[in-house]
Amino acid sequence: MYRSTGFVSFVLRRLTGIALVLYLIAHIWVIGSVNGGTELFNSRLAAVQTPIFKLAEVALLAAVVYHAFDGVRLLIVHYFDVTEYRKSLFYAAFVVSAILTIAGGLPILLFAFQG
Amino acid sequence: MASPVRSKSMATVRVKRFNPDSDAKPYMQEFQVPNLQGTTLLDALHRIKHEQDGSLTFRRSCRHAICGSCAMNVNGRNILVCKTPLQGQLDRKGVVTIKPLPYLPIIKDLVVDRSTFWNEYLRVKPWLVPPATSPEREFRMSPEEVAALHNAETCIMCGACYSACQVVALNKKYIGPHALLKSFLRVLDPRDTIPGERLAEVGTDEGVFRCHTIFNCIDACPKNLNPTQAIETLRRLAQKRTAFEAARVERQRTIAGPLAAEPTPGAEGGVRHVP
Repeated sequence: MYRSTGFVSFVLRRLTGIALVLYLIAHIWVIGSVNGGTELFNSRLAAVQTPIFKLAEVALLAAVVYHAFDGVRLLIVHYFDVTEYRKSLFYAAFVVSAILTIAGGLPILLFAFQG
Repeated sequence: MASPVRSKSMATVRVKRFNPDSDAKPYMQEFQVPNLQGTTLLDALHRIKHEQDGSLTFRRSCRHAICGSCAMNVNGRNILVCKTPLQGQLDRKGVVTIKPLPYLPIIKDLVVDRSTFWNEYLRVKPWLVPPATSPEREFRMSPEEVAALHNAETCIMCGACYSACQVVALNKKYIGPHALLKSFLRVLDPRDTIPGERLAEVGTDEGVFRCHTIFNCIDACPKNLNPTQAIETLRRLAQKRTAFEAARVERQRTIAGPLAAEPTPGAEGGVRHVP
């Protein structure tokens, strides 16, 4: 295995992409149940309100933010010929994603665990 | 196998060994060589082969970083061992690890099968296809046109970029950074007459659009070339192939005409210069 920052970004991009697809399936499973009536919808909604799902929401936020900024990083490379800054761009995307995940994740967890 | 005693005057070279006739799978073997200033990794391998184990197999030829034979994976990085000092690669314990190029089938020890590498290379028609009629004097390229090639002509075909590419590892139909760099060289060469055909060949999901922009090819290149940038340029040109072909025809006309030997100022009548 040839390890590099490029490889790390490649793996993270794929993992977060798969995570987003899985989330989409779960999202449709919950929202789609509205066609089955109020009780079914409420029961499915309750199933994803548990603390473990709140943690998963923070992970989802991290995946969304990283995937988005990794995409921005690649667009910058595509359009601005800046391959010499490839490592800086990766670290920048990672740090911005981490900051936004913390900024968004903390309120989620505070609301979830303070009732 | 017990590790030999290590000392500062000696360097430990860990080599990945594999003999398809006798080994079920590859294994690591350690050798001790003198830790001398000025010794290259290739010198160390030669010393091992000449003095300790004549069966150690590796490719090398010119010893001057121009033939591209001795690309190997050293401490996880693809490099040319002939131009790399031993001491610069030793870790704190005085150990360096040498493996064959990754993602390619091992023939024996450090020698890998480069068949796919060369097959993909031939696929992009790496040779120049000049106009049918020669100009009265020499073909002249403007300084801007030469600069736009980004020294791509200095590629030594060592395979370091190809075997560092994870896309190659995942998809053997991918043309690969080495061949795409060569295609880039030919497409941007104003003397070439088939840029449209070349762009059609590489502008597919087995060519430039398969690249995942991992950048390993840049990190691995011992000549500091930039295959990723070449691929990005080909991507743009592939999307406006017709206009690029028309510009090339016009450029060919200025090359082959009576003013062929006159300098070509700027980009007038020429191809778009990609920075």
